[in-house]
Amino acid sequence: MRTIELHKSVTESNDRDAERLRSELLEKGVLLVNLMSAAGSGKTTLLSRIIGDIGQKVRIAVLEADIEASVDAERIEALGARSIQVHTDGMCHMDAGMTETGLREMGLDGIDLVFLENIGNLICPAEYDTGAGLNIMISSLPEGDDKPLKYPLMFQTSQALVLSKIDTASYFHFDMDKFIARVRFLNPTIHIFPVSAKTGEGMEALEDYLLEQTKAWKEKGSHA
Amino acid sequence: MASPGAGKTTLLSRTIKALKGKYRIGVMEADVDSSVDAETISALGAKVIQLHSGGLCHMDADMTARGIEAFDLSDLDILFLENIGNLVCPAEFDVGAEKRVMILSVPEGDDKPLKYPLMFQVSDIVLVNKIDTLPVFDFDKASFENNAHLRHPDMPILYLSAGTGEGFEAWLNWLTAEASKICRPLVSDHQEG
Repeated sequence: MRTIELHKSVTESNDRDAERLRSELLEKGVLLVNLMSAAGSGKTTLLSRIIGDIGQKVRIAVLEADIEASVDAERIEALGARSIQVHTDGMCHMDAGMTETGLREMGLDGIDLVFLENIGNLICPAEYDTGAGLNIMISSLPEGDDKPLKYPLMFQTSQALVLSKIDTASYFHFDMDKFIARVRFLNPTIHIFPVSAKTGEGMEALEDYLLEQTKAWKEKGSHA
Repeated sequence: MASPGAGKTTLLSRTIKALKGKYRIGVMEADVDSSVDAETISALGAKVIQLHSGGLCHMDADMTARGIEAFDLSDLDILFLENIGNLVCPAEFDVGAEKRVMILSVPEGDDKPLKYPLMFQVSDIVLVNKIDTLPVFDFDKASFENNAHLRHPDMPILYLSAGTGEGFEAWLNWLTAEASKICRPLVSDHQEG
């Protein structure tokens, strides 16, 4: 079997903008979470659940990035959270500049925690630093236990991994031990949260983690 | 074309097994940098090459042409390109294929035509995979078909499970009908001549 390596071209000019945005957000005490996953892994359902569960404890806003639709932003808005829709017009990722524009348009006054719901795929979003203080990825159980083998960069750039739709485990051949070993091989320090946003299983641990991270970010910002 | 985990490789594996001895099948496996799928396909005895896009989220015509150079085309009837797993970039780049097949798996949800309209516009057929999991997901077939057909009127939509084989016959019929417009099968179903 032959393997052909094709030309790699990755934009790196984005990194400086991302660093600047991150410092700005630290100063303001606003934690930006870059939420990444494949299409249909449950980003919006997970966010809806989080807003419902901890929206009274921290003030949450959502930057919804889509290539052109607005269905997700409408779902989030219906929950009463501040949200704005960003259309990338065909691009498969958000970069720091687009994120900054979205945040400025939405306004961050009185907000503690902002989720950037990135474009649904496991490739491009992993390559572009958005300026977020925390990268979280979702891998849904139906996608299979081989995803760490195929999208290693996404698992490496995330500080936390949400394994979603665990209520459907009986329908899929998903080897949990194998999956976790593959993830840990790529990223030994990643936090792993198996959840079902539908039944609520595992959500509390994830939400506690988010509350801790939001608090820690604010403290870090006040000392900076 | 499909999202990660929609079942592209499983569908190809079952297709290759079902058409063995009737059509000579080749597969180009495009991945960002792994080779697990190519190894799965290779184990079935089909001709396969692995393409690494080196981080790019789609294949284009030139990359595809370079992959095709690795095959002896006089040895093949059907050549599949398993594109990079996402619903965005692959829709935008014409790879030079005669037919475009999209797979959507039930767990991804019925709202995908609203969110990835271009993919539905450019595909010649949509295969809704993993229908054996319909009981655990809220997947509204009527709403899915309605939204998909808004983007691409009259596009065939087939429901199947590449895992269990349910509904697979209709896909094979579509594929072999399309293939027979271009090439003749090695052995017909009736063993003529």
